[in-house]
Amino acid sequence: MGGPPYDCLANPLGAVRLAFEKAIGSELETPSTHPSAFNGKDWGALELFRHFLFQESGLSQVPILNPKTLRWVQPNSLVRYRGMIQDMLGNEFYAGAYKDGNLWRTNKFMDVSQYPMGSSPDMCIWERRLLYCVPVPGQNSWTEPSSEMEPNWSSQTREKRRRMDDEDNDPMDLVPDDEIKSSPITKKMREDGLPSPSQSRDTKTTSSSSITSTFQSVDKDNLPCLVKIYDSPESELKLNDVFEFIGVLTFDSELAVEKDDNDELSNSFYDDALVHLPPNKVPRLHCLIHRKLAVQDFLPGSPIIQPKPHLVKETREALFRHLTAVLGNDEVAAHFVLLHLLSKVHARVDDVAVGKLSLNLTGLNKESVSVFGTRLSDTFKNLLPFTNCMPLTLEYLNIASLAPKKDYQANRLVPGVLQLPEGSHLMVDETRLESGSLNSTGIENTKLLKNLIEFQKVEYDFQYYKVEMATDVQLLIFSEGKSNIVPADVIVPFQPSCLESTEMPVAEALEGWRWYLATVRSLPHSIGSEIQKVVEDDLVAARQMDRSLGSRDFSRWLTMARLISSSFGETSLSKEHWEMAKEMERLRRERLK
Amino acid sequence: MASGSSPSNFNNGPSSPDDSFSSPIANTSSPAHRRRRGRRQASTPSSAAGTPPPNPSRFANSASTPTPARSTRRGRRPGPAKSTSPAVAATPSSTDDFSMPSSEGGEDMEEATPTFVWGTNISVQDVKNAIQMFIKHFRDPQELSNDIYGEGKYTRLIHRVLEVEGEWIDVDAHDVFNYDSDLYNKMMRYPLEVLAIFDIVLMDIVSVINPLFDKHVQVRIHNLKSSTSMRNLNPSDIEKMVSLKGMVIRCSSIIPEIREAVFRCIVCGYHSEPVVVDRGRISEPTSCLKQECLAKNSMALVHNRCRFADKQIVRLQETPDEIPEGGTPHTVSLLMHDKLVDAGKPGDRVEVTGIYRAMSVRVGPTQRTVKSLFKTYIDCLHIKKTDKSRMTAEDPMEVDKGSQRVDDDVQFDEDKVEELKELSKQPDIYERLTRSLAPNIWELDDVKKGLLCQLFGGNALKLLSGASFRGDINILLVGDPGTSKSQLLQYIHKLAPRGIYTSGRGSSAVGLTAYVAKDPETGETVLESGALVLSDRGICCIDEFDKMSDNARSMLHEVMEQQTVSIAKAGIIASLNARTSVLACANPSGSRYNPRLSVIDNIHLPPTLLSRFDLIYLILDKADEQTDRRLAKHIVSLHFEDTEIAEHDVIDLATLTAYVSYARKNIHPKLSDEAAEELTRGYVEMRKRGNFPGSSKKVITATPRQIESLIRLSEALARIRFSETVEMRDVTEAFRLLEVAMQQSATDHSTGTIDMDLITTGVSASERMRRESVLSATRNVIMDKLQLGGPSMRLLELLDEMKKQNSGSEIHLHDLRTAVATLASEGFVVLHGDSVKRM
Repeated sequence: MGGPPYDCLANPLGAVRLAFEKAIGSELETPSTHPSAFNGKDWGALELFRHFLFQESGLSQVPILNPKTLRWVQPNSLVRYRGMIQDMLGNEFYAGAYKDGNLWRTNKFMDVSQYPMGSSPDMCIWERRLLYCVPVPGQNSWTEPSSEMEPNWSSQTREKRRRMDDEDNDPMDLVPDDEIKSSPITKKMREDGLPSPSQSRDTKTTSSSSITSTFQSVDKDNLPCLVKIYDSPESELKLNDVFEFIGVLTFDSELAVEKDDNDELSNSFYDDALVHLPPNKVPRLHCLIHRKLAVQDFLPGSPIIQPKPHLVKETREALFRHLTAVLGNDEVAAHFVLLHLLSKVHARVDDVAVGKLSLNLTGLNKESVSVFGTRLSDTFKNLLPFTNCMPLTLEYLNIASLAPKKDYQANRLVPGVLQLPEGSHLMVDETRLESGSLNSTGIENTKLLKNLIEFQKVEYDFQYYKVEMATDVQLLIFSEGKSNIVPADVIVPFQPSCLESTEMPVAEALEGWRWYLATVRSLPHSIGSEIQKVVEDDLVAARQMDRSLGSRDFSRWLTMARLISSSFGETSLSKEHWEMAKEMERLRRERLK
Repeated sequence: MASGSSPSNFNNGPSSPDDSFSSPIANTSSPAHRRRRGRRQASTPSSAAGTPPPNPSRFANSASTPTPARSTRRGRRPGPAKSTSPAVAATPSSTDDFSMPSSEGGEDMEEATPTFVWGTNISVQDVKNAIQMFIKHFRDPQELSNDIYGEGKYTRLIHRVLEVEGEWIDVDAHDVFNYDSDLYNKMMRYPLEVLAIFDIVLMDIVSVINPLFDKHVQVRIHNLKSSTSMRNLNPSDIEKMVSLKGMVIRCSSIIPEIREAVFRCIVCGYHSEPVVVDRGRISEPTSCLKQECLAKNSMALVHNRCRFADKQIVRLQETPDEIPEGGTPHTVSLLMHDKLVDAGKPGDRVEVTGIYRAMSVRVGPTQRTVKSLFKTYIDCLHIKKTDKSRMTAEDPMEVDKGSQRVDDDVQFDEDKVEELKELSKQPDIYERLTRSLAPNIWELDDVKKGLLCQLFGGNALKLLSGASFRGDINILLVGDPGTSKSQLLQYIHKLAPRGIYTSGRGSSAVGLTAYVAKDPETGETVLESGALVLSDRGICCIDEFDKMSDNARSMLHEVMEQQTVSIAKAGIIASLNARTSVLACANPSGSRYNPRLSVIDNIHLPPTLLSRFDLIYLILDKADEQTDRRLAKHIVSLHFEDTEIAEHDVIDLATLTAYVSYARKNIHPKLSDEAAEELTRGYVEMRKRGNFPGSSKKVITATPRQIESLIRLSEALARIRFSETVEMRDVTEAFRLLEVAMQQSATDHSTGTIDMDLITTGVSASERMRRESVLSATRNVIMDKLQLGGPSMRLLELLDEMKKQNSGSEIHLHDLRTAVATLASEGFVVLHGDSVKRM
């Protein structure tokens, strides 16, 4: 394929159209292929984009949609958006193909038909899925790509696009000529007013965005997006998954002015989403290609290094030293924190989430939390992609809405604090909890927290029934004594020996550690039959010694052993690491006495 | 379910007084009416005279099919006679744009001879004949009447509808299919057309039977051969008849929809002819139509002479079982008309039959531009509630009406029922079910069997005298921590048809039973149900039963025996049903179970409550290497094998749930004679065991409560086999289960026999005898050693003295103190701290 005759970046719809015309051969009076044969499926347009994005490495040229880029990104151009699927708004039927005179046109990947399509009786109805996506809760700044593209890029391509449109006799140019610096989208956004700064400050202190309404962009860093998905099986995109969507950004000024018709009939028939998600606050993205993002995808430059044993060990050692320093030279605690950071749910058997390792650091009070908690939280922010904090006070428990809840008036899922994507880290600070009484919300919330930590499941409240959603959240709890509200897998009394703060690690080290955590976490793991025998014998012997040991304790030991083994980059458990796990358990038990 | 129809009768609506007044006059020659009634008239000219006064056809308002569907349905646009879709429908209808059949269509039909459904080879006449044949000749195959000359099922139904002046006839789609599968298929594919013909045929028949019947009778199709899931609705379903299940989540208020408008000239008072709605619009006359007046812009709407119809928009949402992993429930809008309005309330589970439709969305109300989007909805034909929870709660008297309940409750399709029955015939079904119950908790087979009985439950009985016997089996699990009691509870909670899981620590009395609350908005006092009421006809799982406050526990007394919750508070006196089985688990008061103490001493529960449990299981952690090894193996494989451990021969949870609920609903075993005899015999034997030959002490080994438990257990066991009679082996197994449970909990450790006194009073008979002997010995010692009014004696000295005298038995200080306290209460001695003084 020679140079493509269209600009995938600035005029993706042109490319779609071209491919469509090519596919049906509509230059002729009688199309060779009837569009209904597509039945909404792809006709070769996606291949063009895949080629452009991945073979010609056009991906890096595609701007990432965020409040900053929104200022200059042009409607109907190719953008990408990274976010979590927060809600699914169901399917939407649209006139996929219709006849304009003698020509077949398609509406795929756009909101409004570009040509009059009133009188034509020939029309194919296709469907697409609507996903409401939000930036990942607790996403840390290092995950955002640093390289900002220059705005002047757009004006120059705009020229190009206009030329193309003129050739096509395209009446879709919505951009007035005097608008060069800022696109109509941002203008609209500014008019409608982002919430006052005080509001965003509020949400920062409570870290609960659900208290304020979610239907507006809560703060400047929060740009939701309505993604329309074509040609993909339902099972591919799941709630709370983090995805990158590459598609056509649309903005239609006409769409913004509905809602004046407020009678009930039209409201219940209009897609409620449209009423509550005005396009001037929530941009629309017609997705061409989507891919699920793993932690590795967030690593800048994504150095694809094979996990070499010595490299892994070195990184582990450095990270361990760093954690020890952060934790005031408490090596045992540092060990457990390291394992905790590597844990993830790797299997679910009935109700048991295998592989989780929640950690409870006890012996902390308000003062020490302000030192170590903050320090640890800063460290995690630099190491993990998504981190969240929850100050567990009585008031918070009684007020906060932790579980997502369906609002049937708006037909939206109101996010809760616990709606987190896989691999999120949640820090719960219980030291500020005082005695008092819980109201029904509080009881509900404590139940949710308990379920989360025990089963890694969150019940979403659909009012008439609840739906359990599996999650994978690493939980770290700070408390004075053992936490009973959030009973963790491992309880480690925290015993720091020094208080002085540590120096900031250098950027390269941080990058290495991020890579280490992301890579090691996803390592497969197995057990040899010999060591399996050893482990079983040890467990039986331990239980004969101490009847109070139960399956939970054994589960914990095995998780620890597995994680220790993984942390050295090994993929199968060795005797040495099993002994190490037992030793760590012994040290921990000693502290508990 | 259609009978549970709207409170707002259309005919009593605001327009009705006028309606009856105006119709005879305005009707006959009004072109408007001719038009509206057009399709009926044209295709059945003969019956035109007999056609009743116009009543809005259900499609009249929505007849203008949305343009989007045109391509899909262009092949079958109805013939002119049908005029469902106006030929000029260039502008697609939008949200509120339901138009009447256009006048063009109406006029067309007068001339054209309608034969085919447009674009297809389906002849209107054929369809009509087929429907006529169906109505006349269909006979319910289940009715074993030899009278072939008798009336068909639907002819009878029509007669009945006419008698009660009903407005619709429910037609079972299965019947249509069985009689004429071709007609069924046509109906599925072209519902608008076929149903319109169906209505016409119906009206013909009605007018033949009773020419004066002046209501419009509609046909309502239900019970389609196949039902779709909401998720699978796709563009190809548009304009097809679909049936789906879901839960009503939102109802709009009732929308009066104008069908016919009457205008009056404010200058001369001339009333216009009724103007019908045309594509959602009423064209208001710009000037008075009276020749003498002709005043401009003088026509005003006369509200109470207009005709309105009820309309409601309901949102239906998927039920939890249809949601795939990682998805959110889908919703769909339903459009309800007339009688269907308010047929479902939010929270109801319903099965809906209707026509899936789409309409395009206009960008703005004022703009003509059409977005490329379509809004979809289902034009509802029939709605059926599938969940009976509300209904059963409303009927407190039904206890043993199993047979009537069957068809209302969750429907099992035939295949599933067959599968379950097949399963029940297996000889080892009892063992298989036991194995399938919480498969990853091993051992505890007898406990699981008990739990299985609880799931299936016995038969509740209500005597004519008003006395009732519960059928629910209550179980208490007592045991060491870490013996997976809670997991068992969780599992049962998940499996039970209806269950509430609470923890004793977090439950208060009102949280368990019911409480009165003030509605913050209206100030009305309302009853809020607690866990026990909510789990009516289900299982209430209470974890950490021992940690429950006494107050909360005392509420359980009533629930567990009377199965009701009484409320007398804030002016509300009510008795709510709480026919729930209680599954509780408790930890021993010391963290470990002390085998030397009785159950009562181990868990601090009042004996009165304890005796209400049918089965009490002790789950003790025995130091057994074999078990430990299995545990170790299990956990290791859990962590290191990605695939689950192959579960052999285990029934999956869904089937198990279905099995349980089917049995609970449909199987109501009765005691056979020999089983009853065995029960009596066994019970007498149990009682006899308490009488030791040559011993004066009387140990109660069984109480009447046990025989009730035994009956329940054997009924449950019969139910497990899907057997309608309780057989000998059920009774034997029930005895075994009871004995196993009793052996563990009611064994008097000093004698090794079962002693129900332990449960009922908390003190075993042997213990009571021992106390008696200590008491008399103490009395003797005090008589010996202490003089009346003499010096006092320390308790320890007294103990030594007693030990000297009765060297055989062991006496503790604790026992002595109790004995002295008893003596003190008799006024025999005075106890000051540690010193005893005789008086």
